[in-house]
Amino acid sequence: MDDSEHPEKTGESVPDASWPENGDQWSDKGEEEEDECGLLQEMAEEDEEIDLYNEETFGLDEATNGDNPAADPMDLLLLCSDNSPTPQSSPPPPHSSHSASRPGSRVWPHTPTGWSQRGRAGRGQLFDDPAVVKTVEGRPSLKWMIAPQKSSRPPAASILQDQAIVGVIDRSRHGRVPPVSPNFLSPMRPFSTSRGRRGPPFVGSFNQRCHYQNPMVPCSPFRPQRLFSPQQQYNQPGGFLSPSRPPLSTPMPHTPKLMHLQFGTDSPRPAPFYSPSTNIMQGFRAPGPVAQFHPQHKRLLSQRQQRPHRKPVSWDPYSQIMTDKEKEWIIRLQMIQLQSKNPHLDDYYYQEYYQRIEAKLAEEEILGDRLKKEPPKLTTPYVTKALSYIPVVHIEGSLGQVAVSTCFSPRRAIDAVHANTSDEHKDSRRQRLEVLSTIEKLYIVLLEVEEANKMKATVSDKDEERRLMQNIKRKVDQLYNELRCTNLLDSGEEFISCLLISKGKSMLARLLPFLSHDASLHILSVVTKNLPVLMSKDTDEALPVLYPSLRAVIDRLAFSQLIRNLKEFTATLPDSKDTRLTLACQNKFGLSLLYALLSQGERLLSSDLPMEPSIGDFETWTDTVFHVARQLSQTTLVEPLLLPSNLLTLFCRYLDKRTVHQLKNNME
Amino acid sequence: MNYMPGTASLIEDIDKKHLVLLRDGRTLIGILRSIDQFANLVLHQTVERIHVGKKFGDIPRGIFVVRGENVVLLGEVDLDKECDQVLQRVSIEEILEEQRTEQQAKQESERLKLQAVKERGLSIPKADTLDDF
Repeated sequence: MDDSEHPEKTGESVPDASWPENGDQWSDKGEEEEDECGLLQEMAEEDEEIDLYNEETFGLDEATNGDNPAADPMDLLLLCSDNSPTPQSSPPPPHSSHSASRPGSRVWPHTPTGWSQRGRAGRGQLFDDPAVVKTVEGRPSLKWMIAPQKSSRPPAASILQDQAIVGVIDRSRHGRVPPVSPNFLSPMRPFSTSRGRRGPPFVGSFNQRCHYQNPMVPCSPFRPQRLFSPQQQYNQPGGFLSPSRPPLSTPMPHTPKLMHLQFGTDSPRPAPFYSPSTNIMQGFRAPGPVAQFHPQHKRLLSQRQQRPHRKPVSWDPYSQIMTDKEKEWIIRLQMIQLQSKNPHLDDYYYQEYYQRIEAKLAEEEILGDRLKKEPPKLTTPYVTKALSYIPVVHIEGSLGQVAVSTCFSPRRAIDAVHANTSDEHKDSRRQRLEVLSTIEKLYIVLLEVEEANKMKATVSDKDEERRLMQNIKRKVDQLYNELRCTNLLDSGEEFISCLLISKGKSMLARLLPFLSHDASLHILSVVTKNLPVLMSKDTDEALPVLYPSLRAVIDRLAFSQLIRNLKEFTATLPDSKDTRLTLACQNKFGLSLLYALLSQGERLLSSDLPMEPSIGDFETWTDTVFHVARQLSQTTLVEPLLLPSNLLTLFCRYLDKRTVHQLKNNME
Repeated sequence: MNYMPGTASLIEDIDKKHLVLLRDGRTLIGILRSIDQFANLVLHQTVERIHVGKKFGDIPRGIFVVRGENVVLLGEVDLDKECDQVLQRVSIEEILEEQRTEQQAKQESERLKLQAVKERGLSIPKADTLDDF
């Protein structure tokens, strides 16, 4: 990240680049003892300016957050480079942490208590032997930085750097410093909510410290990592970023270095970027999905936040090791993984399960179990809207786009668009594949239709319902039209091509309930007419999937429509002497379809509903029945999917007992 | 009554005494101080408890940082119930001795079993596992 700017990276930099990298410069600085004080004073002065800038950019006021996006990081860098011999030339994070130290340096003379002055030797020792923990009380002052220089030299380089680091750590950790107790390893206060800011609140927390206790050593090995990252985090005004979060336009970093940081968070990177110390609830222009918490959860979090100054449990000195921020951070992290615009789709099993549990409980309640016990529910984030994610980042003033690697598009590859060659010899296989791809693309539409239908049942708002219905209708029409247009083998017959493919069959089966009566009738007639073709080409026996939906359609048929369909069965086929009937007898689906039609006819006839039969309908009906009966009794029949109960009664009416008996034996 | 997803549910267990069972069979008892999203645990004032039969012995270990994937289960220790224990607490040396004896006995029985099986012409393939259990 910072490597591009500081190629002289030294060995002691920690991988996450938050450690100052130009350690050698620091050690060089240590040699020039005489310039020390002057330099430091200069640093102090310039830092005040920088702090102003920092406050403007990152400070208390959200409104100013995006105002000077380009200016400040650049200024920081410029200022950094101005003071080359000083540690300020190190990349922003340590710099900002240095600047963070400045307010401290300003304040220190005014707070006589509360800051420990570590003798350099002592500190060096601390770093040498982590098992040794020392508590030293003293007065804070700039001198601690100078003092090390004056003392003995031998392990100069490393310890000076260490001390600087340590000093920064110490200063920035005063949020954690406990109030009063002089006890060894006394409780630490959690980070104040102003933790991430540099400026008055930061300074303010200085004043609150009385003694600086030092359980530092156990902490410092891992603390600095997190400490620096909030500073770093500052450079990304977006704060805590989720993988699905888009780069916000105004706060977007404008320097390549900061871009790295931005990108870094877009990809799922470990801890340093997801610093718990970043205060998200306040101040930042929070990214969309993360901030959209369920009101209950928000309450939960705000409750947690309202206890930042929770009195440390007196009997347990270690009770605040994990700060509230860190806890919040974990909660957020887990919540992000559960974000979803459509939980019923994404988390189907849990939602179903929970609904069933609740239904059962509701039942129990009705039955008399007064106890209103709610089943423990998983707290999930509540997302109202998800910002769209922009896969392409455009740096202002640059030509072209930057290839952003995110977890959704790890690599921007060339989109493989297959050219539509509509001429040339299309072999049937390729045709099939084309139809298959159409079907697959339409499946998404179908899923949306089903989803909308389900939502329609639950939604209460009338407008919403209407909108959903329109949506459904539109999609259904789209599906219908697209499916009918596909025609394989130039058969000129609609729907055939998709019916020949198993996926198409199941798709039509799912679509049928949504279609209008006429449309579904059309499909039924297509199916009946092309039954031989469908049956013969149904190699994986997918036809039965159509049966339930078609049965539903048939049950709504009027008599004349029924007759029309039935007629197809007995008509001889153009290219063979069989009828659909004979072929149907050998096919589960065909036979079941036939039975369904007959059963519907019987039901219509035996019911009292007035029918509007056309001329010749009844004759056709009786003819068909005879024909069918004859055929059924002669051939061996396969097992149908469903044997309607009123068939026998139908046959009884028209045929003699013997034939009926024969039929009965045959059918069962 | 509502619970948080994932490791966030461990947050309410912080600063409480827990018993953690590790994949290598060790039992640790310590105060849970910190967690992260992988359920890596920081245990404070940890004690490794060795159980042999009805006896147990504690080895104080200090601070443990346990990688989340090595945890089999963990649960809060009820401090009240901890007081009235059926098990008998013994010294570390004693429990280690007991453990050693138990291990030896187990090995011996394994060896005998293997021998008996071999005598009968069968062979049991060695279970190639990383874990002891």
